[in-house]
Amino acid sequence: MRIENLAVNKNGFAFDPTSGETFTLNETAKEIIEDLARGVEEKEIAKKLSEEYDVTQEEALNDVLDFKEKLKLYGLLP
Amino acid sequence: MIVAISGVNDTDNPGPGIGVARSLKEADSSIKTVGLSYDVQDPGNFMDFVIDKSYVLTYPSQGWEPIFNRLLYIKESYGLDAVIPTLDAELPSYIKYQDDLKEAGIKTFLPNLEQFELRSKENLGDISEVLEISYPKTKKVFNIDQLKKAVNEIGFPCVVKGNYYKAYKAKSLPEAVYYFTEISNEWGFPILVQEIVKGDELNVIGAGDGKGNSLGLVAIKKMTTTHLGKIWNGVTIKHEKLLKVAEDFVGKYKWKGPFELECIVDEDNIILIEINPRFPAWVYFATGVGVNLPKRVLDVMFDKNSDMSGDYESGKMMVRYTYELITDIDKLSELATKGESNGYKNL
Repeated sequence: MRIENLAVNKNGFAFDPTSGETFTLNETAKEIIEDLARGVEEKEIAKKLSEEYDVTQEEALNDVLDFKEKLKLYGLLP
Repeated sequence: MIVAISGVNDTDNPGPGIGVARSLKEADSSIKTVGLSYDVQDPGNFMDFVIDKSYVLTYPSQGWEPIFNRLLYIKESYGLDAVIPTLDAELPSYIKYQDDLKEAGIKTFLPNLEQFELRSKENLGDISEVLEISYPKTKKVFNIDQLKKAVNEIGFPCVVKGNYYKAYKAKSLPEAVYYFTEISNEWGFPILVQEIVKGDELNVIGAGDGKGNSLGLVAIKKMTTTHLGKIWNGVTIKHEKLLKVAEDFVGKYKWKGPFELECIVDEDNIILIEINPRFPAWVYFATGVGVNLPKRVLDVMFDKNSDMSGDYESGKMMVRYTYELITDIDKLSELATKGESNGYKNL
């Protein structure tokens, strides 16, 4: 999983050392990527997000799943 | 130690010479660099902080003898221990006559003719099979009828390219015919029609010792390029599969000398596009991240022990830039009238 190798700095700039691709992440994207790379479950990530932001767990889970699809498009997730 | 280097045309379409010379100078400031130039106004002729002395040569198309005589003259008048040719057009002659140079006391470190032919685009399909990577669907054509058949089979857009030089993207049959004519008029046949493949353009620089061992490898991604496709900004990467392919290339073909692999990579699918049997123009990038291939090649040439460690960090960036150098016109006058620079430093 290339997401595990992503080098993400504190400003949300991510560098993929395998492909050389770079990405700019907002705070939420950074958080989700870091959690996914650590193997945190989607539901757990959604729960955390719903506590931090003004969204329900269900909405947060949909966003996490939607974001995962984007990561697949970029080849960062299988 | 005096080393002659060609390709000192450090323009917006740069030759590799300045990167090679800079790498050698940084490794050992006692090395004297001689610039072999084909144009008096090549920037390298004026870059006295990298090139100690410049000589103007006749074009390789004039044959080997004038070049060989010029090198003998340089050896006699200034001294010359080794030569590192870096331009495609010169390589066949340098490879063919490397024994003559050796006899004259001028060392080289080049592949043999058989290895050199491997990089012919006709042979890349076979190499890809050996290296267990992909090669784009390619048709060899010699006339317009064959071209029409090939583009029908491959579809548009496709790439129309020469066997060694030039490649254009054709979006229609008239465009394909135009490029076919242009390339064949300049470079002859065959012409290749190739499918366009998607992915990132990743390149590897390396060198082999001729016995199957690598002298070092660095992989990069081109981030921005000039309109001619030359890298302007780039970043080092660690694509293990790509590096393994480059290592296999050195090992399986016992490659001798520098090389560059140009690939398109889509995830783990590596597609070979080109093999350049010389240092690329971005050679200094590898030096800058700790893999000084020109110095390693020179060390092997002279049977010296060298640091051959392959390690470098990913995420190191190369940023090319333009700069202005102010000098006296006397330098140009020397080059134009005598065919060599005076060897004095700029004031």
